[in-house]
Amino acid sequence: MSSQPLLQVRDLSITLTRAGMHLPVLDAVSFDVAAGEVLGVVGESGAGKSVAGAAIIDLLVPPLRRASGAISLGGDRLDLMRPAEMRRVRGKRVGFVFQDPMTSLNPVLSIGRQLTDTMRTHLKLGRGALRSRALDWIERVGLPNPRRVFDAAPHELSGGQRQRIVIALALCAEPDIVIADEPTTALDVSVQAQMLDLMRTLHAETGAAMLLITHDLGVVAKMADRVAVFYAGRVVETAPTRTLFEAPRHPYTAGLMAATPAPDHEGRMQVTAIPGAMPGIGALPSGCAFHPRCVRAKADCLSMAPPLSPLGDGAAACFHPLQRKDVP
Amino acid sequence: MILHAVERVLQTILVLLVISFVAFMLIATLGDPLGVLLPPDATMAERNALIARLSLDQPLMQRFLSFLGGIVQGDFGLSYRTQEEVGGMILERLPATAELAIASLVITILIAIPAGILCGVRPKALVSRVIMFVSIAGITLPNFVVGILLIAVFSVQLGWLPSFGRGQTVSIGGLETGLLTWSGWRAIILPAITLAAFQMTFVIRMLRTQLMEVGQSEHIRFARARGLSEARIWFVYAIRNALLPTVTMLGLQLGNIIAFSVVTESVFAWPGLGSLFLQSVQAADIPVIAIYLIFVGAVYMLINLAVELSYPLIDPRLKRRGA
Repeated sequence: MSSQPLLQVRDLSITLTRAGMHLPVLDAVSFDVAAGEVLGVVGESGAGKSVAGAAIIDLLVPPLRRASGAISLGGDRLDLMRPAEMRRVRGKRVGFVFQDPMTSLNPVLSIGRQLTDTMRTHLKLGRGALRSRALDWIERVGLPNPRRVFDAAPHELSGGQRQRIVIALALCAEPDIVIADEPTTALDVSVQAQMLDLMRTLHAETGAAMLLITHDLGVVAKMADRVAVFYAGRVVETAPTRTLFEAPRHPYTAGLMAATPAPDHEGRMQVTAIPGAMPGIGALPSGCAFHPRCVRAKADCLSMAPPLSPLGDGAAACFHPLQRKDVP
Repeated sequence: MILHAVERVLQTILVLLVISFVAFMLIATLGDPLGVLLPPDATMAERNALIARLSLDQPLMQRFLSFLGGIVQGDFGLSYRTQEEVGGMILERLPATAELAIASLVITILIAIPAGILCGVRPKALVSRVIMFVSIAGITLPNFVVGILLIAVFSVQLGWLPSFGRGQTVSIGGLETGLLTWSGWRAIILPAITLAAFQMTFVIRMLRTQLMEVGQSEHIRFARARGLSEARIWFVYAIRNALLPTVTMLGLQLGNIIAFSVVTESVFAWPGLGSLFLQSVQAADIPVIAIYLIFVGAVYMLINLAVELSYPLIDPRLKRRGA
């Protein structure tokens, strides 16, 4: 029972229908999130990480469509649920933090109304209890003067304050896992750090697991227990965060790290870009999708896509992974 | 907020003054009131008495001011055609037009709002496609054609409903209403539908477009991600965002109905302001035309003022603080 991960995604494939063709966006992606764990999902934009998050609670917008795959949450198959069952999962068992606080809140309803409506949907509470719990949440996400915020409309709050409300909305029905889709990307850098601190505090308080989707390795390093690296619709590497940063095995992961500014031994910031660009949807090369950009690519990389195979305490999808000694 | 309201009220008054001036210039420059109002064998004394009574010997500005003063006190001048008080004539016709306008507004709200929501929420459903197809007819067919078609079917062919008049009316405090009699109700159905046809189309299309757009927005997706029911999402979270343009439109339309029910009233021989206006135009009855103009302007402005002052109730972003 306890060995079973909380969230289990198996062979999830998602297609985009364009001009009658079903183009693969996500190709047989698998990952697990254990109860209370933070799994960081990293990759460039277009790698399919947001789509994977949305697919978990059936939030894909056509022309995106789940083609196949099994998604289990605490033993329940989310992918087989009828819409009415899925509604009881959304918010209640899976919270979702949206990316852009400026557009995620309903502009014409008060903050309090949006919080109480969400809690009323999932929790059996009276009016008074709903209100006091909403005030609690406003305070827990670090906003001063909860009563004023309760009656405020979203436009009366700043971007950072709104993102705090978005987090409160995702957590207020006490879900077991939170999917946070680029929760800090739309914020000012100074606010980003505050938001990560808040999320860490709340994670510790609530014990909810988290699927943290981001393109920012710094965010992953700070927050995640484990990391899954996405590239062109596939998972190319998973590993505990520390292992991944100390010894990336997939050449793409290593390239991603090198592309993050870091001081060299003389104290100057160094960035090494990966040559080329990630292939777009419907333009995947044969074999390993990364081979055109990979310095380690050999003939076998062109003919077949490498499967994700266990490697050390993680796993990598590469025929010629870096060895621990390869990393300086 | 209050400052804004005061500002809007002052603007409204200013516009009404301008309309009044244009209307006054109509009266002052068009036609010959003496020729119309005096019998052919009138004496010079009678003539001078009328000139004094109508203040024709005063300077123009003076006359405008007393014209305004008269309006404020309820004296709207004399009709060239019937020599009656214009105010009384308008008041006598007003209930018929108001009833018609309200009836068609109610029909619009009862039919077009649910239909618009349906079309916006399920744009691809068969019902929605049928509604959209039929509603094209509402835009392309002129009002009088709709009216004549309705008469042809329901009055002539089926004989269910009367084709003209208001039916029996009952007097309440001096105002005649047809809404308290069976025949009055029967009589109002066809003209109200005719008048509603055009605006229903607009409301349906407006609501549909708005809802389809709002339905795509991130906050609706987020509401869905929180497990809110589809009913709550559409009827509370989405519609509140789609309401503003619809209310604006309904306000404008109500003004339109009251002002320009001319065609419908004449098709159904409805004894309202529209037919009074037509009669006045035919008789070049300038004072009635002018007062009608002012009246229409006032109704328009007041409805729009009311609509605009209701915006902050619909959308909190439109609340203004101070100046």
